[in-house]
Amino acid sequence: MDFDLKSLHPLEIRLLRHVSKNEKITAEQIIKDLAYKLGQCNQAFSWLAAKEYIAEVSRNLRTLYEITETGKDYVSKGTPEIRIINHLKEKGPMKMPGIAKDLGLENKDVGSAFGQLSKEGVLKMDSDKNVEVTDKELPARITILVTLLSKGLESEILDESGLSKDELAVIKANSKKRGAAASPFKIIEREDLVYELTDNGEKVKKLLLDQGLTGEEIGGLTPEMLSTGSWKGKDFREYNINTPPSRVLLGRRNPYSQYLQWVKDKLSSLGFEEFDGPLVETEFWNGDALFMPQFHSARDIHDVYYLKNAASAKEIEQPWLDQVAETHESGWETGSRGWGYKFDHDFTRRQVLRSQGTVLSAKQLHKAKIPGKYFGVARCFRYDQVDATHGADFYQTEGIVLGEDVNLRTLLGLLKMFAEEIAGAEEVRYVPGYFPFTEPSIEVHIKHPVLGWFELGGSGIFRPEVTKAMGIDVPVLAWGLGIDRMALMHLGLNDLRELFTPNIENVRLRRSK
Amino acid sequence: MPKIEVNKEKFYSFIGKSYTDDALEALLPCAKAELDAVDNEEGILKIELNDTNRPDLWSTMGLARQLRVYEGGKGNDYNFFSNSEKTLDSGIRTVKVDPEIKKTRPFMAAFSVTGKAVDDSTLKDLIQTQEKLCWNYGRKRKSIAMGVYRSDLINYPVMYTAADPDKTRFVPLGMDKELNLREIIKEHPKGQEFGHIVENDEKFPFITDADGKVLSFSPVINSSEIGAVEVGDENLFIELTGTDLHSLILTASIVACDLADDGFTILPVKVEYPYETEFGKSITTPYYFQTGISADLEYAKKLLGSDLSADQMKNALLRMGIKTEIEGEEIIIEVPEYRNDFLHSVDIVEDIMMGRGMDSFEPVMPSDSTVGRISPEEEFARKAKDILIGLGFQEMIYNYLGSGKDYIEKMNITGDKHIQIVNPMTENYEFVRASIIPSVLNSEAISANAVYPHNIFEIGKIAFLDSDDNSGTVTKNSLGFLSADRAEGYNQVSSVVSAVFYYLNKDFELIELDDPRFIKGRSAQIVYKGKNVGVFGEISPLVLENWGIQMPSTCCEIDLDILQEE
Repeated sequence: MDFDLKSLHPLEIRLLRHVSKNEKITAEQIIKDLAYKLGQCNQAFSWLAAKEYIAEVSRNLRTLYEITETGKDYVSKGTPEIRIINHLKEKGPMKMPGIAKDLGLENKDVGSAFGQLSKEGVLKMDSDKNVEVTDKELPARITILVTLLSKGLESEILDESGLSKDELAVIKANSKKRGAAASPFKIIEREDLVYELTDNGEKVKKLLLDQGLTGEEIGGLTPEMLSTGSWKGKDFREYNINTPPSRVLLGRRNPYSQYLQWVKDKLSSLGFEEFDGPLVETEFWNGDALFMPQFHSARDIHDVYYLKNAASAKEIEQPWLDQVAETHESGWETGSRGWGYKFDHDFTRRQVLRSQGTVLSAKQLHKAKIPGKYFGVARCFRYDQVDATHGADFYQTEGIVLGEDVNLRTLLGLLKMFAEEIAGAEEVRYVPGYFPFTEPSIEVHIKHPVLGWFELGGSGIFRPEVTKAMGIDVPVLAWGLGIDRMALMHLGLNDLRELFTPNIENVRLRRSK
Repeated sequence: MPKIEVNKEKFYSFIGKSYTDDALEALLPCAKAELDAVDNEEGILKIELNDTNRPDLWSTMGLARQLRVYEGGKGNDYNFFSNSEKTLDSGIRTVKVDPEIKKTRPFMAAFSVTGKAVDDSTLKDLIQTQEKLCWNYGRKRKSIAMGVYRSDLINYPVMYTAADPDKTRFVPLGMDKELNLREIIKEHPKGQEFGHIVENDEKFPFITDADGKVLSFSPVINSSEIGAVEVGDENLFIELTGTDLHSLILTASIVACDLADDGFTILPVKVEYPYETEFGKSITTPYYFQTGISADLEYAKKLLGSDLSADQMKNALLRMGIKTEIEGEEIIIEVPEYRNDFLHSVDIVEDIMMGRGMDSFEPVMPSDSTVGRISPEEEFARKAKDILIGLGFQEMIYNYLGSGKDYIEKMNITGDKHIQIVNPMTENYEFVRASIIPSVLNSEAISANAVYPHNIFEIGKIAFLDSDDNSGTVTKNSLGFLSADRAEGYNQVSSVVSAVFYYLNKDFELIELDDPRFIKGRSAQIVYKGKNVGVFGEISPLVLENWGIQMPSTCCEIDLDILQEE
């Protein structure tokens, strides 16, 4: 069996080292030998007994005598009998009521004291009822009581085992168990536990001795020890390093926002510049500028949120408005035949809560550098029932790459880079996709070490109807990544609502994989 | 995205070859389709179609056609199309259009089908095609509605008229009594679903034969007699009404091609308008209206990043079912009868890509070197986050939509700057948050069981009405935080505010705040360079009570945009 010496408190160590096999271990002895307080002694007993290093062998009933306030009073003023004797010696013979009055005693108390003392021949009364002192010595019971009182004042409690037969008789006569206020002593009965060292206790004691552990090792290091150097030459108590620590509340990032930050850092390390925009967008930027026809099904009232106040923007910037409107109607100068419908100039000013991150890409186009790479992590809003896979609002990660020489193959290269760098994919598969604003359109599917195959994102080359209307003549790669699923996996969650939980405890305990 | 169900056996017999589910899954991307589910018991494949501009793929026949050709099979030639130069003989099959219908639903396309008895699978396909086309492509019947009838019962010419909704009565399919059109809108399930399309018009679209026998109340419901097609019928009349001539004619072409592939003979129908249309006053449908389109060879090569020969492009397009001719530096395509998704030469390039297959394009890294950076707003936000975290705060991240109850009522404010959604899904998500404070209070309200003290913050966006802006709204980057504890009070939050400003290296002044969210005399307005940039203080017990919070709480909110810019 292994013994964990580090779990022993100095009080336990010193006690174990002190006692021997077959010796009766009592509180009294330990208090005497090791100068423990009774409380410390009892703690050490209970810890050691729990570890089964000591075991209870018997219980002794002891009677103790505790000095009362009356007793203490007797010590400072004298007992009533001594005071009467001294008073008479000083003042000469006098009548009992006079004694009582001078000493502030009750008549009956003076009377009974006189009765006892005259029986013992210490006092006598003359024919005028004056009381006087004789030459007779004081009886032993009085001198013994005085001794007991002074002992009692010194140690508060007197154990019957430490008293002589005579003393015992006197103290018994001067104490009460209950209602002891008028007596000098109070009787206390106490059960004392007696322990002995167990076999394990014996082994631990030996280990302590072998390892030289004394219980006197330094516990907490204090500034004083450091300034005085008192620690020098001493050992430090070794702690049990596996004691469960108490909880610390700390300031901390939210793991989801930290993940988004990681994605942002990753993208900027890959040469992308971050863009951002307002939550409220016009139909113009949210759809028209992306060449989504105004009658497109995704632009229905059941797919986007409209605003009650601020229902429409005052104006749409030119020349983008005219160029986009003409592109929708007849293709303008984009080489397209357009959608062939009448562009609605009121509808285009109508405002929605941004429904797709691609808005930011559309708005960036006319001010973009060529070559240029941009990205944004955009909060978007969709008309969806909120459940485990749909949020009232959620993040989309989107971006564009502009350059004279970008093409389908560089788009695939870009997606491969995202798949490997951001998603840690093992395999990548490209599938033709459909988005209203890109042609060609590509979905990228990846094989993730944990999740298996899934769609990482959508991408494509912006249609010329989108770019040319914004004055851009070079091809523009556009991409979007569904990082929510990866965020959930990263955080060990499976419900999108959890990402935005207001629950403080959940967030405090959450950590990433 | 439309999803269709196809009969496995019929589907593979039309492709001309059977596939394992895995093999089919690998082939479907050539139609931008995905295998959604397989029901082996019923022999049904469920397939999702992703290209909303390719309604021709939303049927058993249409999808099979694409896969067959892609796998090297032969495409069908369709000889039942009229065009601007050639009009096929429509015999007695004529539709006469009422001038009054021009205002509501001006166009019709129609054809007739014969040659074999309709079986169960054809009927199912026809119903599915009608549903998918009219729902997804025809905007839930708004721009396209389709009806199928027993042509044996029809006496030509068919009349497409504008009818008085109160005086016109017939027995609709699925009912056994006569109702007028207005009653149908109210009482018939289809009327309740689609009645709103015509409801506000003076007269409703109505189709009868020469004898006045009712075909349908378009776009709502067929009649129970002529409109009740059954298995075994040999002759069908199919019509489509709508508001956009191009998509209407295209849809008719798609249905006609599908039925032709299924072995039926298609008979043209002449539609006579009393008014001018883009294709004249008389259009015989199915009608080929698409115009040829070409792509520059160099343009295609450049966009694909691949040095393809003209023949390689030709072959790739042939696999997509497209015939081509090369003229000089241009590749000219003949748009298939059932497609109209070539708006720009870039659309040809994508079909070349798909015809070649994705595997033939090797990924290369973009070679342009660009400088990456996070936005100044993000950079500033990170600075502030570091400070708050050092001060012992837990970062939170919240939704931006909430209820008027949380954002306004519980906050003890009037809420006149809040952005409200006209069409909320539920009242729980009816407002955009104009402040982070309700978000952090909501956290506190549900987190009384979390060990105290609570110190939480968020840096995120808020938005509110602002008539000075072109949009009438403004979006801001905002910092909000909350502390809740037994001993929490003004002094504590004031210390935090001071520390935040000190380490952001910004000076500020405080003025007394009168804000119903806070206790007066224990809250302050933060002024930076003469501008109000934030508020903080002890949250009013009234507000705490509204939230059900039983711990003293302080809050602060700071406009990071102003701090960052100036």
